[in-house]
Amino acid sequence: MADSPTFESPVVRGYDTADSGDLLLTDASATIKWLIRASPDGSVADRLGASFGSSSAAASGATVLGSRPGEWIVLGTAAEVAGAVEGLEGLDSSDFVSCLDWTHGRALFRVTGNETTRMLEKVCSLDWSDPMTPDGAVASASVAKVTCDVARSDVDGTPSYLVFCDRSFGQYLFDALIDAGDEFGLVVGPARP
Amino acid sequence: MLLVPCPNCGPRNSADLRYGGESHARPDPATAAPLQWRGYLYLRDNPAGWLRETWYCRSGCRRWFTLERNTATNEFRDPPQPGDKRGTKA
Amino acid sequence: MTMSRLGPQPTEVIDRSTTPRFRWNGKRFSGFEGDTIASALAAAGEHVFSRSMKYHRPRGILTADYWDPNLLVQVGDDPNVRAGHRLLEAGMNVQAQNVWPSLRHDIKAANGLVSRFLTAGFYYKTFMRPQKLWPAYERVLATFAPGGKVDPDTPHRYHDKRYTHPDVVVAGAGPAGIEAAVAAAAAGARVLLVEHEHAVGGHLRYSSQEPDRAALSELRAALDASGVEVLTDSTVTGRYEDNWLGIVQRSHPIAVERLIKARAKVLVVAPGLIERPYVFSGNDRPGVITSGAARRLINLWGVKPGERAVVFTANSDGDEAAADLDRVGVEVAAVIDGRDGRRISAAQGSSKALEAVLSGGTRTEADLLVVAAGWTAPTSLLNMSGDRPVYDPAVARFFPSDPPGNVLATGGLAGDGSLDELRAHGTTTGKLAAQRAAAVAHRYQARTARALPVTGDEPAWAADLRVPLRRNHHPELYRSDTHGMIDFSEDVGSKDLVAAAREGYDSVELAKRYTTATMGSAQGKLETVNTVAAIAEARGETIAQVGTTVWRPPYAPLTLGALAGRVFEPVRVSSIHPWHEANGVRTILAGQWIRPDHYGDPAAEVRNVRANVGLIDVTPLGKLDLRGPDIPNLLNLLYTNKWSKLPVGKVRYGMMCAEDGVVLDDGVTGRLGDDHYLMTTTSSGAGGVWEWVENWLQTERPHWRVHVTPVTTAYSSINVAGPKSRELVSRVAEGVDLSSEAFKYMEVRTATVAGVAGCFMWRIGFTGELSFELHVPAGHGMHVWEALMEAGADLGVGPFGLEGQRIMRLEKGHFIVGQDTDGLTLGPSTGLSPLIKLDKDDFAGMPELAWAADRKLPMIVAIQPDDPNVVPEEAAQIVRGDTNEILGRITSSRMSPTLGRSICLGQVEPELAAGGTKVTVLLVSGERISATVMDHHAHFDPDGERLRG
Repeated sequence: MADSPTFESPVVRGYDTADSGDLLLTDASATIKWLIRASPDGSVADRLGASFGSSSAAASGATVLGSRPGEWIVLGTAAEVAGAVEGLEGLDSSDFVSCLDWTHGRALFRVTGNETTRMLEKVCSLDWSDPMTPDGAVASASVAKVTCDVARSDVDGTPSYLVFCDRSFGQYLFDALIDAGDEFGLVVGPARP
Repeated sequence: MLLVPCPNCGPRNSADLRYGGESHARPDPATAAPLQWRGYLYLRDNPAGWLRETWYCRSGCRRWFTLERNTATNEFRDPPQPGDKRGTKA
Repeated sequence: MTMSRLGPQPTEVIDRSTTPRFRWNGKRFSGFEGDTIASALAAAGEHVFSRSMKYHRPRGILTADYWDPNLLVQVGDDPNVRAGHRLLEAGMNVQAQNVWPSLRHDIKAANGLVSRFLTAGFYYKTFMRPQKLWPAYERVLATFAPGGKVDPDTPHRYHDKRYTHPDVVVAGAGPAGIEAAVAAAAAGARVLLVEHEHAVGGHLRYSSQEPDRAALSELRAALDASGVEVLTDSTVTGRYEDNWLGIVQRSHPIAVERLIKARAKVLVVAPGLIERPYVFSGNDRPGVITSGAARRLINLWGVKPGERAVVFTANSDGDEAAADLDRVGVEVAAVIDGRDGRRISAAQGSSKALEAVLSGGTRTEADLLVVAAGWTAPTSLLNMSGDRPVYDPAVARFFPSDPPGNVLATGGLAGDGSLDELRAHGTTTGKLAAQRAAAVAHRYQARTARALPVTGDEPAWAADLRVPLRRNHHPELYRSDTHGMIDFSEDVGSKDLVAAAREGYDSVELAKRYTTATMGSAQGKLETVNTVAAIAEARGETIAQVGTTVWRPPYAPLTLGALAGRVFEPVRVSSIHPWHEANGVRTILAGQWIRPDHYGDPAAEVRNVRANVGLIDVTPLGKLDLRGPDIPNLLNLLYTNKWSKLPVGKVRYGMMCAEDGVVLDDGVTGRLGDDHYLMTTTSSGAGGVWEWVENWLQTERPHWRVHVTPVTTAYSSINVAGPKSRELVSRVAEGVDLSSEAFKYMEVRTATVAGVAGCFMWRIGFTGELSFELHVPAGHGMHVWEALMEAGADLGVGPFGLEGQRIMRLEKGHFIVGQDTDGLTLGPSTGLSPLIKLDKDDFAGMPELAWAADRKLPMIVAIQPDDPNVVPEEAAQIVRGDTNEILGRITSSRMSPTLGRSICLGQVEPELAAGGTKVTVLLVSGERISATVMDHHAHFDPDGERLRG
């Protein structure tokens, strides 16, 4: 029997990495991600907190993104996500609820820096200004022609975004983001969940 | 590029959506006569004026919805608000 | 005309300490930093820059700016560069275009001698018959075509793209535009100011008047402090629905060009005015220039435009040009004032010794003739907004009529007035723009789920209370008492337009297309109104009666590179892709997927699968995770067959048809749990089927409880195929009994594979062999693939690609949707009528399929050429005997390594569908071959004994 497997990221190309930079791109594909479906205004929605377009923090420490009406992405460590998802399916028998581990289906990148907005303007047609996309905002849009979920999740006051795409597009999108960020001094950080 | 007022996402570029064409009811397949069924498949009013039409917010909320648009001016009538539940065909 | 460099001018934009060297037609030149190519050449005494398109007349500077139609040159491998605009760079290799053998001695100038034969419609009339000679005509005419050379070996250059959402975009940074931008920013708006020229300031830049210069520095300072984003050398090229703007940024630090797509809440149109040439005999001779050209040459680049000038002026700009010429030592031999009804009639002689002829016949010798005959309002962006500008004969130009409320005009487009009045109009326009933009912003924000919540009601739509700019009287000066050039780019004269009108092409839109006037590189900026005036004159009507053409995008020509921008070509790869690359894969692009086509020898891959065991990476197979109690209802609706009784652990094949009965997709769906299924679709159909399913669930059956999630790339899918596949899988799988009794064909099991939990596998048989299709969490796909390769080394395991799979499926006669079916293939044509259950209550396409059941339809059949060595091309026609009557076509064909003969699938008319029918296949070569329709779709193992083993 083969060795116990470790998670392989869709980003397989090697990059020179640095721990910090004006614009930092990191591969966080190994983050645990679950997709939750339920009525947009039932008790599951109440417990998850985030309405469509916004995000919230679960008591377990997981991040909950209101990715579509009646759809949520829950992400974090395995324990955080398990804590947030546990019991959702039986919470309300009148609500039709499903929970699906989407970890392997989606690539996840984080890009952080003051010029992030200008970088995203090069690959996405959404309005990234503060009033339209404040910290915590969640949207779906075409990024470099790939449909992505994007969540703004600032780090210590610095603009930062989580970008999710289909795993198979992961390498392409990672490179497209590097290309877009090049003029702003983008550096690739070490992969971390 | 046209801005389409998605009832969930808000105004979005039309390239973010798929145009579903004129909103049309599906006849009962058990009783539909050929002319009626083919009207549903192929015949469109194509008015120069107000038209009820369907859109699919492909890059956004992934919801199908209907809107009224004036095909002569590209105005949308009574654009739905976020949370508007008119997410289904007329 | 002899131009030369003047001493330093207070307004000049050149840096005389930097002297870039460049080549012009092979000869060495140098200029100053800040020079345009044209100003550097003019300062060096060059006066002919190009030859005209049809008559190859020598052409010199006309307007000395972006619009100058005579200054198109080749720079390196860049054709059609505007030398009046492009800044000089060291090392440029500049060449004249459309000249042979050289600019000075152009043989085709002889065309000028026969110009009366080259009148309007000449090409249409002369070369249309005999038609068979057209290829010969075309070869000759191509050498006469204007424009530079496109070098197919030009390296790909980086173009960039950006989206932006400013509150206000101001097109044009003249005094009014700057004031509008500053005022809008002061009112809190996010403003983007776009200037066509290399610097802001508009006409103030080339004014030597002290008040103008003071105003310019004041405006620049205000702009610098305003927070406005300023783009110079950039053009708003188009305005589309809801103020979607195309902006091309020509000089950008990281890219040759950047295309900006802006969604402006309000657009302020402030392009200023463009000076219009005057039509008279010889008006295209080198030495005849506009007043703006004279002032730009003198004040921006310190170029003395001539030694002895005649100035024809009908306005203050002409007066200023005369003053500037006089100031820098050009002898102003005569000033002819057009406001007094005096007219210039002709320019004669050579460019070195020009003779200006007045309408009375008076002649004045000069080497420079400066003309200020009026302006054209470049209303393009207003036209694109739906406005239809109106002609004012008292002012001799067009004015905005009724643009939409989110488009505001200011500056010269809106009227005349003193500089202060123009600036004030700009300021009030900017304030109005900011107010209206705030209302739009409020609306957008209120309706966008992710946006910050808005407070208060939407601000009222601000009324337009601007005091209109006054309009100064200007004589209508279009054509003198002689005929001359109207469209310098296309070599169309006023005579041509008169002739066109006489031949019946007397509407502007017709005359334009017939003569090609306004269709050249100046995009109508210089010649449209003169064209209209010529038609009006020919018809004996006014300009207002004749009307004008509608300006359409782009405002200025832009390169294909700019339009393409950065090319986003998303590609998908599976988790196992690095293994393929390391093992000699030949890839094929299938949709967006880069897939293994084969690894060197597809036939050997087929033989290995038939004899041993092979692995294929089928990750792109579309996969939808279905959850919920209503899944059987959904499957019954989507597929033509029945799904109510599929037990847990079973897999079923299904075909989907669209509502018109045409085959849409197919695949297997397995039941993993009570309310949990996995649907597979074709690889190319994955996205479309997902939208199709969502459409049914959201619009027709919203009460059904089903959740659909695309999981195509959540799993790495590996098909293990071949007689030794069971042995191989058993070596890596845990927790599953793989025996043929416990795990039958068309069943699904979950298992741990190579230590990876949460895998499932099903037994299906696209290749016709015993096979196990493993679906592995994608983050472990590579691990499982490598484990299988390692575990199966002694079994002869090897990879196979798409081509091997396609051969094997063809041997088995499985059709591929989209390959063997097309947009007209109804469900029964696939031969799967038993899977079309017309006794169901409802399913997609049911009525059409019910009606089709009684009809004889074209059928998909297996076909074998009688000569086993001939492989007919895919799409080769099946015809009736020796005729060309088409009775079908080959849809798939391959040489079968297993059978050692050619095999096909095809679609044939019903009369040919019976097994044993002889058909004639017309090959691409024209040869006809005989072939036989087979009894079964499967060429190989028709009873399926191998895959059920």
